[in-house]
Amino acid sequence: MSLDQRIGTIVLVVAVIALILGAMGYMQASKIASIEDRISALEERIKALEERAQAPGTTTTVTETRTERAVETVVETETVVRERVRLTVIGPWSGDEAKYFQAVLDEYMRRNPGVEIKYVTMRAEDLATSLPLQFAAGTSPADVVITPWAWWIVEMAKNGYVEDVTGLVNKDEYVAGTVDAVVWDGKVWGAPFTMWLKPGFWYKKSFFQANGLEEPGSMDEFMALLDKIKGIPGVKNPIVTGDSVGWPISDVTEHFIIAVGGPDLQLKLINGEASFTDPEVRTVFEQYLVPLIRDGYFSEPIEWTQAVTLWWNEEYALYFMGTWITGMVDNPDDLGFFPLPGAKGVVGGADYIFVPKTAPNKEEALKLLEFLATEGQAIHVSQPAGKIPTWTKVPASELWGPMQTVYSKVVELNLQILPDLDDSVGGDWQTLFWDQLKLLWVNPDSLDQVLATLTQEFPGG
Amino acid sequence: MKSRLRENLRAYGFLAPALLLLGVFVVYPIVGTIIISLETQSGLGLGNYLEVLSEKSPSKALVIPGNLGGPPPWGALVHNMVWILVHVPLTTFLGLMLAYMLIHVYGRSLVKSIVFLSMIIPMVVGGLIIRFIFDSQVGVIPRIFDTLGVESLARTWTAYPETSLASLILGSVWLWLGFSLTIHSAAVDSVPRSLIEAARIDGASEWQIFRRVIAPAVWPATLTVMVMTLLWDLKIFDIVYAATQGGPGGSSTVLAYVMWLYFARALDYGRAAATAVILTILTLAAASYMIRRSLRG
Repeated sequence: MSLDQRIGTIVLVVAVIALILGAMGYMQASKIASIEDRISALEERIKALEERAQAPGTTTTVTETRTERAVETVVETETVVRERVRLTVIGPWSGDEAKYFQAVLDEYMRRNPGVEIKYVTMRAEDLATSLPLQFAAGTSPADVVITPWAWWIVEMAKNGYVEDVTGLVNKDEYVAGTVDAVVWDGKVWGAPFTMWLKPGFWYKKSFFQANGLEEPGSMDEFMALLDKIKGIPGVKNPIVTGDSVGWPISDVTEHFIIAVGGPDLQLKLINGEASFTDPEVRTVFEQYLVPLIRDGYFSEPIEWTQAVTLWWNEEYALYFMGTWITGMVDNPDDLGFFPLPGAKGVVGGADYIFVPKTAPNKEEALKLLEFLATEGQAIHVSQPAGKIPTWTKVPASELWGPMQTVYSKVVELNLQILPDLDDSVGGDWQTLFWDQLKLLWVNPDSLDQVLATLTQEFPGG
Repeated sequence: MKSRLRENLRAYGFLAPALLLLGVFVVYPIVGTIIISLETQSGLGLGNYLEVLSEKSPSKALVIPGNLGGPPPWGALVHNMVWILVHVPLTTFLGLMLAYMLIHVYGRSLVKSIVFLSMIIPMVVGGLIIRFIFDSQVGVIPRIFDTLGVESLARTWTAYPETSLASLILGSVWLWLGFSLTIHSAAVDSVPRSLIEAARIDGASEWQIFRRVIAPAVWPATLTVMVMTLLWDLKIFDIVYAATQGGPGGSSTVLAYVMWLYFARALDYGRAAATAVILTILTLAAASYMIRRSLRG
């Protein structure tokens, strides 16, 4: 190897070594810079976490560890104390009705900043299909469940799926009879929420005025009113029949039972002390309902929300419906109602709140139940939901304007609030009741068969 | 011998995940349902089956012998049978006919897509649509009969016992036609054009070509459509639930709806399970017929 070659080799080796050293130095510098960046980022995070720790609902623990090679900071966040609770509430309302109920939940969340509530809509029929399986499996999709089916809550309680709320519900503070619907084995298994009334036939005041119609004072006047309405051009039938799974028809039927047979007859039917083939029940059908159906005073069953529109457009003059109709029309001030002359009572029904035994946050759920069953009712009835409170401590002045008018009329007429027949009996008899009445409405000649079927299939009958 | 054992073990190893899933999600629930269906207050027995079969309530009865000569209700099982008798031939024939007719139509894919749309609609929504199609206020069908002056059919079909079952069956033809058309279209497209042209040269009319060439050539597809439709008819629930709730007066109940009534309304799980088992036996009988026919080729 020549000298030049040797020098060249040495230069090359030196250059390579220099390059390696330079690269190592650069890497080290980058690493240090990276560690510094991480340290400052972690410092910022620690600061943020410390700030959060001051806020309600979070406790932060910061741990710093040093190693030989670099400084590493480990931050652990634990939510132990004042943890934010997330509750799920299942209820039957959707659309505007859900919006009115949300106002109650919003108020609860405002009062309890550590609680977050998610509302899920589920009809009673769907609850009955899915919840028993989940309860049996030891889970629950919700912390609080609201349903109009008191009988179903009792059935669930019998299976051991419902939390006992006897200590939370003071029976004396509620409208008489409402708590009884959820009592079994001497214990209370649910709490009543707000209630609706099915006070009578609704009409448009402007339509009555324009056609010189007046509320009837007797059954004869009622018949005369229907005849007069029949003669008004553009009116298809005096009374529109709401169709759904069947409840609108059962409501008007119950109103006739109460008006003609008296409140006691309704209660006897609920308790199984009277049957549908009894002469006094038969009279209600034979002398009142069937002739009205046969002579076209009632319309063919029409989907009930569609019927609201048709009735409001004056294709029909009267509509038997619950108080929630006040929130479904454009101008509730133009709404009037009258019960059947002679009626001493009207049907009222509450929604019921219960806490499943397998609720994920049982303790918080029970607190929410207590609120909904008491102060929460005041908020709900102030909304255009068409409801009145079952908790008697809510003053009438808290009611939404149009409902104050309805409520005062019910009080003025001294109408007793009675339980809903099919909601009280429940089970598959309720479905049968709806279905048989739908049959009667399109085929009034089937009366004997309908009454016999309802009697034979009555629970324990 | 050892290698065979090893081969078997390997095969079972591959099958194990599928068998495990089937065992947990299919076999276990079936066995569980059978056990529940046999549980009575006095121990295991056939009490639930006897009660389900002898039920007289119009909304839950499987057969109402006294009504068979008149309008419904005839009982859920009879309603299912009527459904099958009307729906299966109608859907199969219309699907095949449309598939053949569309061979000659320009833009047939668009027509097929439109017909197939009904298959995409969830059945519950389909039930609601049926309700409105047959509604006297807004429905097309009563309007047509109103124009024709047929008063008895110019009303809400789902509200009357004479027409409620018919409205559901006709509605289900519309909902299921897309399936029949799709399967038949694929089969008709695979028939060699030379066969059709040869028949035409021999002087066969369009009807003769359809009957003697197309229909036999697509028979395996037709059989599949028939059996799938039959199984669907046996299990039908959603549209009944959404459109009529089995009414009025139990005139449109079906087996699956009766099962739901026992389960969700009466909370009687024993009878619900017994109804489910009866439904499964009927479905299995239909399915085994299909498999046997398919194996026979």
